[in-house]
Amino acid sequence: MIYFIDGTKEGFLTAFLLAFPDPDSAIASSEHQLALGQQCAFVTADEERAKRAERRFLQLDGRCMRELDTLLRSGEKNKEQIAFRYLRLIAQKQRPVRDMLADADVLAASECMARVGHEAERLKGFVRFLESASGALYAPISPDNDICDLLGIHFRARLPGYPFVIHDVSRKKASVWDGEHLFLAPLERAEVLLSADEEAWQSLWREYYRSVNIPSRLRLKQMRGYLPVRYRKFMPEFK
Amino acid sequence: MFDIARFSCYNRGMISEEKLKILTEGAKYDVSCSSSGSRRKNEGGIGNGSAAGCCHSFTPDGRCVSLLKILMSNDCVYHCRYCPNRADADVPRATATPEELCLLTVDFYKRNYIEGLFLSSAVVKNPDYTMERLLITVKKLRTEYAFHGYIHLKGIPRADETLVREAARYVDRMSYNIELPSERSLKLLAPQKSKESLLLPMRRLAKEKELFRAEKRNGLFLPAGQTTQMIVGASPEPDGLILRLSQNLYRKLGLKRVYYSSYVPVVRDSLLPDLPVEQLREHRLYQADWLLRFYGFSAEELLPEGENLPLEYDPKCAWALKNLHCFPVEVNTAPLEMLLRVPGIGAKSAYKITQARRYTPLTLEDLRKMRVVLRRAAYFITCGGKYSGTKSRTGLRGLLSTGIQPAKQLSLFDNPNALLPLSEAEPAYSALTGEL
Repeated sequence: MIYFIDGTKEGFLTAFLLAFPDPDSAIASSEHQLALGQQCAFVTADEERAKRAERRFLQLDGRCMRELDTLLRSGEKNKEQIAFRYLRLIAQKQRPVRDMLADADVLAASECMARVGHEAERLKGFVRFLESASGALYAPISPDNDICDLLGIHFRARLPGYPFVIHDVSRKKASVWDGEHLFLAPLERAEVLLSADEEAWQSLWREYYRSVNIPSRLRLKQMRGYLPVRYRKFMPEFK
Repeated sequence: MFDIARFSCYNRGMISEEKLKILTEGAKYDVSCSSSGSRRKNEGGIGNGSAAGCCHSFTPDGRCVSLLKILMSNDCVYHCRYCPNRADADVPRATATPEELCLLTVDFYKRNYIEGLFLSSAVVKNPDYTMERLLITVKKLRTEYAFHGYIHLKGIPRADETLVREAARYVDRMSYNIELPSERSLKLLAPQKSKESLLLPMRRLAKEKELFRAEKRNGLFLPAGQTTQMIVGASPEPDGLILRLSQNLYRKLGLKRVYYSSYVPVVRDSLLPDLPVEQLREHRLYQADWLLRFYGFSAEELLPEGENLPLEYDPKCAWALKNLHCFPVEVNTAPLEMLLRVPGIGAKSAYKITQARRYTPLTLEDLRKMRVVLRRAAYFITCGGKYSGTKSRTGLRGLLSTGIQPAKQLSLFDNPNALLPLSEAEPAYSALTGEL
C-alpha cells in the first residue's frame, strides 16, 4: 500500500500511523510513479493523530522531530520514504537510532539530512542581496532543498535593521522580514527597482573578486567543488 | 530601531576601482581568510559573528572569499627583501581613508558579499602612525557604523602597546606574521623586523586575554584569538624546525592557527631563491599542522628537527610506515586515539566508527558504505580479525606512494619562467608573498 500525503509534517505523521503496521507500505508525495497493481490511498492530515504521534516520538528520541523537519525539506523524490523508514526504525527499537550508521535506512536518512544542512550552510554565504530604491534588500535563490525560511532566520539575526525578501524562485515562495515580523509568503515573481548606487557596488565587487584571485594558481575543479555552477546564477561576480 | 536613512549620507565616499585593485592585490597573498571563532552578537546595527565561519565565494584559484582582504596602504617605509611593496620598489601606491574602508565593508556586508573585514597595511611613515590609522578605522566601523561582523586586524610590529591593546578591544582576531622561521633569516631578509618585535606583542596579547577572562570584564577581547603566517622556502629552514616552532606557538601562546605560504619569487634578489617553492611542500606542512592540532601527534613523533617531510607520502602515512609495529588495528575495538592514527581515517570517520560499532560489528563493506576512505586505511586495519591489505611490508611502501619524486634535477625545459627576467614572467606587484 502506498500512502500519498500533502507534504506537510502533520500529513506525514498521520500517514505514518496508517503505514506502520504493514511492512510493505510506503509514503510518498504526489510525484510518485505507481507500479502495476499497486494499491494506494490519499491521506488527509489529522491534527489530533499527528500530535499524538509527535508526542510519542519525542518520548523515544528528543531530536527526531527536528530531523523529520529537515528530511521533509529535502529536494529528493523519495524523501518521505527515507523519513518513514528512519522513523519506523525508531518506533521499532523504541530508542534513538541515529548512530547505527551501518544500517542502510539510518545511513540514507543521515546523508539526506546532511545534504539539506550543507546546502543551507552554503547558501548563507552564496545569497546575494540587491538593494532596492527604498533600502530594502531582495535576494533571488533557487536551492535544491526547501530552505528559504531557514535563511530568513539567519539573516534576521544578522541584518535586523534592513527589511529583506529572500525569494525561492523555483518554489515560488519567499521569506520576508519587514523589520518586525519574519514570515513565509507565496511569491510568483518580483519587480525590484534598484537603488542608485547598486550597480556601482556590484561593479566594485567584481573588481575585488578579479583582483583577489591568483591567476598563476588556477584550480577550477576545486572551485567547482566548493561553488557548484548552479549557485552562480544570482551572484554578481559571475555576470 | 536602527535607522537606514542615516547611512545613505555616507554614499559619497565610495572607494575608486583603481585604488581597490591596488590594495587588494597587495593583500591577496596573505593566506588567512577564515572567519570562524567569534560569536559576536548583533546589538542594533549590522552584522554578527558566525562561530563556524562562512565562505561567500570562491575564486578560480580554488580559494574561498570570506573576508574583504585589503591593505589600508601599500606605501611602505620598510625594505623586506621578498616584498614587492618595499620602499624602493617601483609600483603604484595607494592609501585608503578610514571612511572609504568602513563604507566599503558595510556595503559589501549588507549585500552578503563578505563575512567581515581583514585589514592589513604596509608601514606608512612609522609603526605608531600606521597602527593609529588602523585603530581609527576599526573603531569607526564598530562605533559609528555599528558594525558587528567579523574583523581580523593585522598587527604592526614595534607599534605602541596601548594602541594595540585598544585595537584588540574592537576586533575579533589579530595576527602578527612571523614571516620567516628563524631569527637569522629574518635578519637577512627583513632587517627592520626581529623575532622579538613579532613575538612580544603576541605574548602581550595572549597575557592580556587571559587577564581579561580571569577578571570577567565586560565586552570582548579577541574572541577569535591570534594567528600567524610564515613563508616557506625563501630561507633554508627544514620542515622539522618549522613544525617545532608551530607546536610551540600553539602550546605556549595558544595561537588558533599557523598559516604557511610557499615562497613565490616576485622580486629578484641575490639572497632569495629564483624558483618558486613547490605547493606540495606547503600542503604537507598543513597536513602535519592538522596532525598536531586535532590528531594528538607531536612534532617530535612526526620527524627529526633537521629533516623535511617526505613528499611521496602524507605525514600520517609516513609516520605509520615508520611504526608498522602498531598496526594493523582492529576497527571494532581500537580506541579513538588509535583510529585517529590510521592513515586515511579522519576525525569524522573515526567518530562515525566509534558510534556505529556499538550496535554491530563492522565489516569492510560497512566502512565503505559509511564513506570511510579505505584507499590507504585498508592496509592498516582489520575488520573482525580479517586483514585485506598486503602481506609484504616492502610492497606496502610502493602501494602507498603517490608516485611523486622527492628530488628532481633542474632541466632547462622545466620552468621557462626561471630563465626569464622576473618582470616578464609576471608583474612584480601582482604577486606579493609576504606582506606585513
